[in-house]
Amino acid sequence: MIVSMKRMTLVAHKADETAILNALQGTGAVEVISGGQDNSAQAALERAQSRVHQFGDALKTIRPYAPKKSFFAAPAEAKAEELFLMLPDAVSLSEQLSVLNRELAATKSEIDKNETLIDALRPWEAFPADMQTYQVSKKVKYFTGIIATVDVEKLENIESTAEYQLFNEGLMRTCVIACPLDDAKSVANFLKSLDWTDYVFPKMPGTPAEAMEELSEKNRTLNAKKVELESALCDSATGREGMMESAFDAAVIERDRALASADLVRSSATFQLEGWVPSDKEELVKNAIHQITDAYYLDVREPEEDEVPPSFVENKPFVTPFEQVTNLYSRPDPNGIDATPYMAPFYILLFGLMLSDTGYGLVLAVLTALFIKLKKPGGMSGGFARVLFWGGVSTMVWGALVGTIFGMDFDTLLGTNNLFPLFVDPMENPIGMLILCFGLGVLHILFGVALKMKVAFSRGDWQSAIFDSFSWILIVVGLIVFAVPSAVQGVPVVISTIGLGMAGLGAVMILLFKGRASKNPIMRTLSGLGELYQVTGYLSDILSYARLFALGIATGVIASVFNQLCMMLMGSPNIVLRILGIIVASALLVALHGFNVAINTLGAFVHCARLQYVEFYGKFYEPGGRAFKPLSYQTRHYRVTDK
Amino acid sequence: MELQWGTIFAAAGAAMAAVMAGVGSALGVGLAGQASAGVVSEDPDRFGSCLLLQLLPGTQGIYGLLIAFVIASKAGLLTGAAALSATAGLNLFLAAIPIAFGGLLSAIAQGKVAVAGINLVAKKPEEQGKAMLMTVMVETYAVLALLISFLLVNGVKVG
Repeated sequence: MIVSMKRMTLVAHKADETAILNALQGTGAVEVISGGQDNSAQAALERAQSRVHQFGDALKTIRPYAPKKSFFAAPAEAKAEELFLMLPDAVSLSEQLSVLNRELAATKSEIDKNETLIDALRPWEAFPADMQTYQVSKKVKYFTGIIATVDVEKLENIESTAEYQLFNEGLMRTCVIACPLDDAKSVANFLKSLDWTDYVFPKMPGTPAEAMEELSEKNRTLNAKKVELESALCDSATGREGMMESAFDAAVIERDRALASADLVRSSATFQLEGWVPSDKEELVKNAIHQITDAYYLDVREPEEDEVPPSFVENKPFVTPFEQVTNLYSRPDPNGIDATPYMAPFYILLFGLMLSDTGYGLVLAVLTALFIKLKKPGGMSGGFARVLFWGGVSTMVWGALVGTIFGMDFDTLLGTNNLFPLFVDPMENPIGMLILCFGLGVLHILFGVALKMKVAFSRGDWQSAIFDSFSWILIVVGLIVFAVPSAVQGVPVVISTIGLGMAGLGAVMILLFKGRASKNPIMRTLSGLGELYQVTGYLSDILSYARLFALGIATGVIASVFNQLCMMLMGSPNIVLRILGIIVASALLVALHGFNVAINTLGAFVHCARLQYVEFYGKFYEPGGRAFKPLSYQTRHYRVTDK
Repeated sequence: MELQWGTIFAAAGAAMAAVMAGVGSALGVGLAGQASAGVVSEDPDRFGSCLLLQLLPGTQGIYGLLIAFVIASKAGLLTGAAALSATAGLNLFLAAIPIAFGGLLSAIAQGKVAVAGINLVAKKPEEQGKAMLMTVMVETYAVLALLISFLLVNGVKVG
């Protein structure tokens, strides 16, 4: 249900600011909004933000040295003030780590640079002269460069006064050409016609071979330094993960408080806080402030017309996880209704029908239950885990109803004689299954339309409820009733006439009253005709539920295909091959079914969400609320326990 | 030797379903994989979200496999059962058309949406759900094609 929000204004002494913000953060019930231009807390905010970055970088450095956490490990718990105990140590450690990291990076880049130089000099290893001073003669022009081997023989055609020498083998050959200054131009032009690249020696003394030796020597020292730095890093980082994580969380808590503090406005002695508070948490907030000081002024009032409150919902524990599904679409408009409680049962129902395999449902339910039990996830992942758990339970039930378990027939497994499927076998009676899917779709869609009616009634707009929503229920139900006698034998034809009457009444209501805002009868009828065209929309919405069936067979048939494949492997008449086959097939069965569960759970999850968003929410939901983001403990590694 | 036209048509249909839908999925997953690798090179933490999006265009290949298998077992291609009439074989071949073409083209289109979705996740990780939904919108048509192929195969009378 949507909780109504109240607008609060708090004025208190500056001296109590930190204590009050601290207490409010503990309640997690107040969203602080900007009260106006006041930059006095900006510097503190920047400090807090840079500290979060600093600790985050330190954690990245530490992580490779920390033991791997099990996927199912539950996060540690701590009180808020306990997190802050590690702050001073963490500051010095993170500085130490960042110095080491910088030095290490510098050393590595120096090593890389030297390696590159050595690689570049290697082709010139045979060059006998000093790299800086070989161009001794003022009357001779030297061309130093690299030439493609295919062009080497063309060098024979060079000016007769020029001499050349090659220094290595291979596809690209290093080469120096010397010629009298007067011929330099013509030689240069000649070289342009070849695959020739000029080369400039690096600014190093000695022959290339000497330079390479010197660089390797440097790298040996640098490598030793690198090893030393790495072990120093390992020493400082090992075993410090918990400490840095707690400090990181403390820094985040501090940063969030600084963010709130930056939104306050201050006079010389007081500060003023503007914010939103859920109406049921008002007392909690008052008490929290009251415990710190008596000297405050607190005003809590209903929002005014132009103030848009954040959207905040509270639901029963069973429904709460499904809020995550709604959030993926959009939060409800604060003036609309919270659709989650209505969506949750349908979500479970439709999800199960899409997977519809008792074995797979069991796997899904057990895995998610373990995950929830051991990891104790909160927030988004916790919500989705619970959604999938209920989906798994529903899948088990549907599996029994359609008679499949791990792609096998229930009857074959239990030895029962045609007891299963309890309801309908999609392989033998596909049309019956399709009708079931469309039936669920009609129910789902009409429920959405009914919810729209409910919203309209609660706003006192009975005209909209009757003419815009109820008329459609009449049309859809009427058309279905109309079709019943021709589809099912033994139903009297008069039912058909009743159905037609209902649909006709609905259509007339829409034709006459859809455009009731306009006085002009022609405009009204035109508007009604336009609305009636929506009947195609309803048709495509209902047909969209065919996916329930298709995804169901995708799971079931693929599972049985995997089973058959593995049976073939096990079926060899040769005893050795048969044993081998059984071993391979068992491993394969686990892997294949695991894959099938995973991919079809993903498919069922998203297709089910789509049915909710497009077909169901499309009928009545008013999206567009902005999330309520109270000042609270948004820790990543520790769960804060003091509430 | 006389050709068994019924069996030939059925085998062609099964092959077409598996090949075309499989090729589509391979192309779609391939496109999305390239985009994923790019995003993960910048931010390895995005791997999980990117992998989910990359997987989505892969389902068409599975649908193709499914229809191929159903046709093959119906026509007795796996066990070598009795001969199939040419009409039944041709019917099975025609039944493969929806998932073959629907799978091929929708997987490619879905791969492109997945690429866009992966880029979206790179910039706004919290919008992963929306990226997945947009991608799944395309898959609807592969699911419908699968359904029709399945119903058509199911309706063919053999023997």
